[in-house]
Amino acid sequence: MALIGFSTGALKLGDFQEALRLMRCSSMTAVELSALRLPELPVLIDALPKLNLRQFSYVSVHSPSRFSAESEDGVIDLLRKVPNDWPIIVHPDTIHDPDKWAGFGSQLAIENMDRRKPDGRSAQELSRWFDQLPDARLCFDLAHAHQCDRTMTEAFRILLKFKDRICQLHISELDSAGHHFPLSYGSMQAFSEIASLIPSDSPAIIESLNPQQNASEDPQRAWMEREARRATTAIGRGGLQPAPNSSGQTTISTGPVPA
Amino acid sequence: MSGIPWAGQGGSPLAELGQILGRRWAHLEEAWETTLRANHLLSKIIEDKLIASGIDPNSDTSVIMHGSLARHECTQGSDLDWTLLVDSQADAKDQKTCLAIKSALSDESIFKELGLKQPGPEGAFGGVEFSQPIVHFIGGEEDSNSNTTRRVLLLLEAQPIGIRREAFDRVRKGILRRYIDEDRGLLRKSLADENVRWVPLFLLNDFARYWRTMAVDFAYKQFNRGNQGYALRNIKLGVSRKLLFASGLLACFWCDPEISKDKNQEASKLSLLNCLDTFLSLTPLERLALFISVQIKTADSEFIRKTAADLFGAYDEFLGLLNDPERRKHLNELTPDDDTDAVFQEARIIRRSFGLAIQEMFLGEGSPLRQHSIEKGVF
Repeated sequence: MALIGFSTGALKLGDFQEALRLMRCSSMTAVELSALRLPELPVLIDALPKLNLRQFSYVSVHSPSRFSAESEDGVIDLLRKVPNDWPIIVHPDTIHDPDKWAGFGSQLAIENMDRRKPDGRSAQELSRWFDQLPDARLCFDLAHAHQCDRTMTEAFRILLKFKDRICQLHISELDSAGHHFPLSYGSMQAFSEIASLIPSDSPAIIESLNPQQNASEDPQRAWMEREARRATTAIGRGGLQPAPNSSGQTTISTGPVPA
Repeated sequence: MSGIPWAGQGGSPLAELGQILGRRWAHLEEAWETTLRANHLLSKIIEDKLIASGIDPNSDTSVIMHGSLARHECTQGSDLDWTLLVDSQADAKDQKTCLAIKSALSDESIFKELGLKQPGPEGAFGGVEFSQPIVHFIGGEEDSNSNTTRRVLLLLEAQPIGIRREAFDRVRKGILRRYIDEDRGLLRKSLADENVRWVPLFLLNDFARYWRTMAVDFAYKQFNRGNQGYALRNIKLGVSRKLLFASGLLACFWCDPEISKDKNQEASKLSLLNCLDTFLSLTPLERLALFISVQIKTADSEFIRKTAADLFGAYDEFLGLLNDPERRKHLNELTPDDDTDAVFQEARIIRRSFGLAIQEMFLGEGSPLRQHSIEKGVF
């Protein structure tokens, strides 16, 4: 079974409960619980024991994308409450003191960064982080790699060096200013070039920003399924399990992926 | 060689070759050290100026050094050839950045302290260059002399300085990608002998075109500048410019795993891009040194050792000549009629030694490059 799903932050910015509700009755088998903004983290951690996540075979938590050195201990204390078998995704530029994060061992997944960030973008820059956190794994963000280098040579290098560390993927389209969008044909084509190097069992988390956030649920779910199909096509994996919708019909068509 | 970082992490293939051959190239080492000092100082001057001007360097631009500063061969009187490479959405603020850099690098004290000269009068350097025409216009009417020059130099002779090198890295890979993508026979099996073609001919042809352009422009500059600087340019054409072409030709041949001896090289475009980008990140002399070291390690011969010693020995003498202010000035003032001048004769002996060593490296009977050079480099 393909492990694929969404980041809650991409589906509903700052509202993981609503994002999870949307994913119910979908074919998604993986989820990333996102607390990209610091105030979201305590709320998410508080809610963890009560969340209904039975649908998902893979769950991860995304740590905040910005916090001060003074807040670092507090963030780490909260993240310690995350179940041990859920990977914790971290932007390397948020880490102030790597020693404090070493205790997470292989639960920690360093994400490769986009071009706005000064570090963690290339294989060489990631090497320094893995030297400091040798047990950490990699959250390989294809959109970040593509934004840093349209030729995908750097993505190729990251995979050559760190593919054995990959614990999950991030998939989306990213413009030059760093905004997430649904996948375009150009991105899909670029991702497909390195697809054969990506471990086939690595869970794929879609970060494409939901363009239907103001629509009713059905169009949103239809978009989710379509985007998931495009993502699986881009990384050269087979189709998804058909998922029943509220009226018991399947929501995945077997037709060609629209460009 | 104390001045050149040792092979291994952050090391240089030049130092490794020196160790293998048991030789020391003092002028080369001195030029390397001077370049490191110059690039460090220039980075600081630019950074200070940008901060003072309220400009925050970002990943859309890189300051690039060309010429001897990029080759790590800085000597007294080297040109300060720089450009601001822009790879972003159109933004008029880039001109402000360029003017700030120009102002910072026009300070007379820099030229006195580092012994550098202002960029040449042809106007290829000392301003903004945009990634779009460099990547998009390869061949055709739009590919002007300066566009070709900028593109090929970004591949063969460019060194980003300062903290932001991302634009440079992106554009260089973007250029290489075009040469790889549009070379239809690349990585395909030959109908005649079933051999895979590893050598990127589109790229090789552009390097060759640029080399011939430099040679033709030598005559053009002679005409345009009334023979001013004739002898110095003549020697540079036959040594440092020839080195540039040779290292580009070698980069194309290096794509063949039989030449690079790289067992991990795959017959895929990304693998080839990775190979080329990595190889071209070395200086021209380092590219030659890496090739020779690999050959010595895998198939040592007297031929390859002698060729290496002749080649690097001649180049070392060339740098010694350029780094001597009196002899350099003397050469710069000679005219085509001063054929019998002693310094010019000495320089021409160096040029000839270097030329013969390059010829041996590519076309000598014992050279692993011979077949490629004849089949792809000549016809």
